Amino acid sequence: MNLIAKITVLNLLLALVAFGIGGVRVYHKFRHEIQRETDYTLRESLAEAVQTIRSGVPASDLQNRFMYITPADTVTPADTHNVFSDTLANHPALNRPELFRQLTTTRNVDGHFYRFTIMNVIIEQSDISRITENILSDLFVLLGAILLVFNFLISKWLLHPFQVTLEKIKFFNLKSGEIPELPQTTTTEFRQLNTFLTAMLHQVRKDYRALKEFSENASHEMQTPLAVASGKLELLVESPGLDSTQLQLIQDAQQALSHLSKLGEALLFLTKIENREFATQAPINFSALLTADLSTFGELAGMKGLQFSTEIKPDVQLRIDPVLAHILVGNLLKNAIRHNVDGGWIKVRLDTDCLTISNSGPDPGMPTEQLFERFQKSDQTGRSLGLGLAIVKKICEANSWQVHYTYAGGVHEITVRVA
Amino acid sequence: MKLLIVEDEKALMDNMLSYLSGGDMVCEQAATFRQAEDKLVAFSYDIIILDIMLPDGNGLNLIPLLKEYQPEAGVLIISAKNALDDRVQGLELGADDYLTKPFHLPELNARLKAIYRRRKFQGQKAVQFNEISINTDTHDASVHDTALTLTLKEHELLVFFIANKNRVLTKQSIAEHLWGDHVDLQDSFDFVYQHVKNLRKKITAAGGADYIKTIYGLGYKWSGA
Repeated sequence: MNLIAKITVLNLLLALVAFGIGGVRVYHKFRHEIQRETDYTLRESLAEAVQTIRSGVPASDLQNRFMYITPADTVTPADTHNVFSDTLANHPALNRPELFRQLTTTRNVDGHFYRFTIMNVIIEQSDISRITENILSDLFVLLGAILLVFNFLISKWLLHPFQVTLEKIKFFNLKSGEIPELPQTTTTEFRQLNTFLTAMLHQVRKDYRALKEFSENASHEMQTPLAVASGKLELLVESPGLDSTQLQLIQDAQQALSHLSKLGEALLFLTKIENREFATQAPINFSALLTADLSTFGELAGMKGLQFSTEIKPDVQLRIDPVLAHILVGNLLKNAIRHNVDGGWIKVRLDTDCLTISNSGPDPGMPTEQLFERFQKSDQTGRSLGLGLAIVKKICEANSWQVHYTYAGGVHEITVRVA
Repeated sequence: MKLLIVEDEKALMDNMLSYLSGGDMVCEQAATFRQAEDKLVAFSYDIIILDIMLPDGNGLNLIPLLKEYQPEAGVLIISAKNALDDRVQGLELGADDYLTKPFHLPELNARLKAIYRRRKFQGQKAVQFNEISINTDTHDASVHDTALTLTLKEHELLVFFIANKNRVLTKQSIAEHLWGDHVDLQDSFDFVYQHVKNLRKKITAAGGADYIKTIYGLGYKWSGA
């Protein structure tokens, strides 16, 4: 529920409480006022009747349906008090019992005592409450309508800057680094929000760039001397008169350099994924990409004498950066070829939401999930970096995919599930 | 082939100079953006080897100038930044190729020759070595007019060998040339061995001389005049 809808509902709930309490009060005031007016009228009638009798008209002539006058003989002072009461009596016109207000008292008119009983129709409680309810519910509906219209206008006008800010923030892209122009507003809270957001975006962009620059510079500073050293060894190899032992030494040194260089690259790559430098792109045809990569790996697997079979559903579209996709596929297949057995096999299956690579291979000797950690390798003597699966995991995390690794009965199976 | 190497790291420059100089290559050097600018305007080159990070500017900014003064010259970018943006930007500006540091010198040599072939002999992308002729475009190869049936990798290997004739090629540099980033496989060296063996067999079967010399423990060398 959006903010305006919430505010409207809350307003209406509050109005409901106010109208409830107000309704009870209105009802009582109404009733009280009607009774007061009726009593006043009754007293007036009494005074008028007394006056008429005093002027010589016989009391019996004044009798009618609403006034009974009987002569009284014995009178106590208490009888002269005005006594008001409610009573049911037959209404002559309507011919049904109705509620009447009745005044009973005794008066001395020129030495004769008369007992007066005067009645007047009063409005019934049920009528009062019905009227009150009608009026209040009409008002409530009116209020609701006004609130809706008003709140709609508020959201259009008052919250407009906020909506614009939200919209702009939604499309902020750290990689492109363009800080959105947030709207000018006279509302203090929104102005503070915009100021804060702008400052924060600048800071985030600065940090992001610094980190990116640092990792790139670190890579440059590391790769250049490695390139120098490796080149020197290649020149050394060209010099005449080297025996096979010396050549072997050079080769070992070169391999160590190459390992170091690849390690630096892999670590930098992990940092880049963590920096979210590979923003999710438009969907790519993953089937085509996988098929292209498989031709290289199929050849390598074939040279190692492995059975290589694929089952790829065509035109599977996935949202992933193509660079990440290549590395994901490459790392998984490299592992499947490296950690295999003589005469083994590899199976690659791609479905609409799932990539499965299974292969024969020796026991990894540690829990499979542990192999996703950096520098965890089942074969410590090998030249592998121990970062392949860590990178796979990071790539999956960056795309909110899941990756699972199982080993059972000589079969390794890695499943990448597209969420 | 006349080269201009733009690189600020002196040791790296020396490596490239020693490896590339001699034979049919003439190398000149520029250590800064300014020096490179001066040389580009004054002399003509076949290929410029360009480092992106220079102390006084971004090497990429030299490409438009180069395209203006020497549109027929090739450009090979070398950079320690394996940043995709740089690569794409460089190629969009008109660079012919991009090589990431650290690279193998034979790889650099092969790439330069490929650029040179593309630039100089348009339409006729042929490599000739004694009785062996190769068309790098159609991937056809023949020995004394006997056609060789080579796989794509064997073809690439043959071109790589001839580009670096009389130089030692380590198994590692061959593996990286053929499979790029896919090669940190422990047994990639066995793959190299298999490919070299097959290539040698196919050439000698077609009546060619055996030019591939095995250097024990290290790699191979294509020897011959």
